[in-house]
Amino acid sequence: MSFSDETPFQINVPEEKITTLYAKLDLATFPDELEDAGWKYGAPLADIKRLMKKWRSGYDWRRHEKDLNQELPMFTRDIEVDDFGTLNIHYVHKKSKVVDAIPLLFCHGWPGSFFEVRKILPLLIDPSPEHPSFHVVAISLPGFGFSEAPRKQGFAAKQYAEVAHKVMLSLGYNEYVTQGGDWGFLITRKMALEYGGKHHKAWHTNFPVVEPPSWKSPLAFLTYLLKPWSPEDKAGLERTEWFITRSTGYYAEQSTQPQTLGYSLADSPVGLFAWIYTGLTFWTDDYSWSDDEVLTWISIYWFSRAGPAASVRIYFEVGGDFGGFKKIGRGPSVPVGTSYFPKEIVLPPASWFRNMNNVVFESHHKSGGHFAATERPEELVQDLRNMFGKGGPAFAIVPGKTGY
Amino acid sequence: MSFSDETPFQINIPDEKLATLHAKLELATFPDELEDAGWKYGAPLADIKRLTEKWKSGYDWRKHEKEINQELPMFTRDIEVDGFGVLNIHYVHKKSEVVDAIPLLFCHGWPGSFLEVKKILPLLTDSSPEHPSFHAVAISLPGYGFSEAPLKQGFAAKQYAEVAHKLMLALGYSEYVTQGGDWGFMITRKMACEYGGKHHKAWHTNLPVATPPSWKSPLSFLAFLLIPWSPEEKAAIERGEWFRTKGSGYHAEQSTQPQTLGYSLADSPVGLLAWIYEKLVLWTDNYKWSDDEVLTWISLYWFSRAGPAASIRIYFELAGDRRNLGPNPTIPMGTSYFPKELVAMPAAWLCRVNKVVSESHHTTGGHFPATERPEELVQDVRKMFARGSTAFAIVPGKTGYA
Repeated sequence: MSFSDETPFQINVPEEKITTLYAKLDLATFPDELEDAGWKYGAPLADIKRLMKKWRSGYDWRRHEKDLNQELPMFTRDIEVDDFGTLNIHYVHKKSKVVDAIPLLFCHGWPGSFFEVRKILPLLIDPSPEHPSFHVVAISLPGFGFSEAPRKQGFAAKQYAEVAHKVMLSLGYNEYVTQGGDWGFLITRKMALEYGGKHHKAWHTNFPVVEPPSWKSPLAFLTYLLKPWSPEDKAGLERTEWFITRSTGYYAEQSTQPQTLGYSLADSPVGLFAWIYTGLTFWTDDYSWSDDEVLTWISIYWFSRAGPAASVRIYFEVGGDFGGFKKIGRGPSVPVGTSYFPKEIVLPPASWFRNMNNVVFESHHKSGGHFAATERPEELVQDLRNMFGKGGPAFAIVPGKTGY
Repeated sequence: MSFSDETPFQINIPDEKLATLHAKLELATFPDELEDAGWKYGAPLADIKRLTEKWKSGYDWRKHEKEINQELPMFTRDIEVDGFGVLNIHYVHKKSEVVDAIPLLFCHGWPGSFLEVKKILPLLTDSSPEHPSFHAVAISLPGYGFSEAPLKQGFAAKQYAEVAHKLMLALGYSEYVTQGGDWGFMITRKMACEYGGKHHKAWHTNLPVATPPSWKSPLSFLAFLLIPWSPEEKAAIERGEWFRTKGSGYHAEQSTQPQTLGYSLADSPVGLLAWIYEKLVLWTDNYKWSDDEVLTWISLYWFSRAGPAASIRIYFELAGDRRNLGPNPTIPMGTSYFPKELVAMPAAWLCRVNKVVSESHHTTGGHFPATERPEELVQDVRKMFARGSTAFAIVPGKTGYA
């Protein structure tokens, strides 16, 4: 097998896959629903029925496939991963007109994808004397989008970080910065731990998660016990509690029995749709998803190269690394910027994150949720511009790449 | 709408449902699997592929449908539930030859069903001078088997208990005993609390748990901390730890987003098969499931009257009951300990808060003893009510002997 350097990529889902999708939708069997259930028990029946009908006839995948191909310059290349062999990785790569733009890797999570870079891409590369510009890379994590999935067990944070880092190096970005949320947070954080300083110069996250101070850090713990909570802190903790008690069923299954769940996600487009649509609704801040947006988002999972079941393994493999987010520990020394959106799903007080990380930039928003790049693209990009721009705390952190 | 008294029932799945199942199986799409995954990430791909293939061609539903109809005398009747209207309930009912046999309700859980009574039914109703006999009733809980499901929100332990109790009354069993595991434990326990003494005379369970002592009862709590655990109890605690950390994903989803999961279970027979098969294997003690047994078990969910999505709502609706079990029942309790049950607590605790009159410990068996260890389970129930036992003749006039 020859090692493939960069190859331009266009999404071109085989016709057979579309036929199968339609055949399954034609045979779709729906459950009933309790009276006045609303969202209480999960995704409402009326929503799912309507969207399945649209997916079958009304939604034009080929049109959206074409739009994606036109809007997002995409590529694949082989990346060698220690002990895991070669994985063919799919990514978006667009350079700014600004020659010394800052190389930035955008790293998605679950149920996200490279698709999330769509709205922020033009803003990030936009040239202006008023703000810095970026050369943007949006990777499809192994097992997501059109990247291959690992075949062996144990593909964890280290490996995901290695893939992302090697993609940047292979594109000639020896020094770079990152933006990530959800798994993208953990993976870019791991990159900072492994490659920070020399290569990975700074990281930004919209998912600044950290465990509560423990008695092992007496001062922090004391502060934790004694300090009165601000309204924002309180709201954040309430939101976190809501998430943990009402919305982590998917996490529990995906981190323990991903294969069992995978049979449903691989066989039923309705099941896959409901599974992801629940997250897209619960985790956002009154974002008005258009039908086409949500169908495209989920079609990417249905038509993904490795299939939807592969995508949930990350919870088992990487979740284990962090004790299910209970043992995150002290962060990298590399500077980090944070953006707080009030409907994010895990929102510990900003002071906890500051205690454990080298926070050089922090921004608090009044609206927005878990999918910031989709819900609040201007705000997210503004945060990055403020962090890396002239006068900002991370200005020129990549030597020679000021973004201007 | 007229209120229906008992009507004999035979399973007769419409051809159209079989055709739809077949069409979906023909279109089945499988995920891949990591190398050497075994059971580590969930049900293995080879197993699911094999079972799907068999379900599609090889497995004869009509043959098994006929067998169930022949072996299990089944009925339906309407039961009125306070605040929920009328539900048409499906059940098995077989009387022993022994006239004064003890009326016993067998109550299943998830992913169980009325079919779990199959192996124990002939043993329970069997007449002999050596052991007591039972008139056996095996209910399909609302939302399971061929019982209707509730349409309104809030159908919780109280309501399930009410249905089961009213069924026994409707059959002329004003006084009765019960045997239950899984949700059957919760429901028969609720029955004991609501109807215990007057109607519900004694209860037996193979999932013997109670609220652990809390710091609020210092003496109990101290005892809990200090009593040295037997090897059996240590193993049970490890098993419980495995279940809590590795085996509870289904529980978390079913108790928070049953509708979201329900779309998968209703639309994909392969998805439903994997979801349930994983439990049939992980929760049992090396039980050698035959393919036909597995496929019949899961077909009952696929072809159930309310559909498979309805069956998991019990996790959401009874979350409150689970968090707060409430007062302990005061009626006599019988317990059976099987080593591969999912949760267990030291028998000593249980005896402090329940009136345990009969206790059995086994060296093999798991979560589905009526299937895995039918003789042992029935032996335990017989022992509880035998001549000379504390619970002998607890249902006045129904000693279980000829």
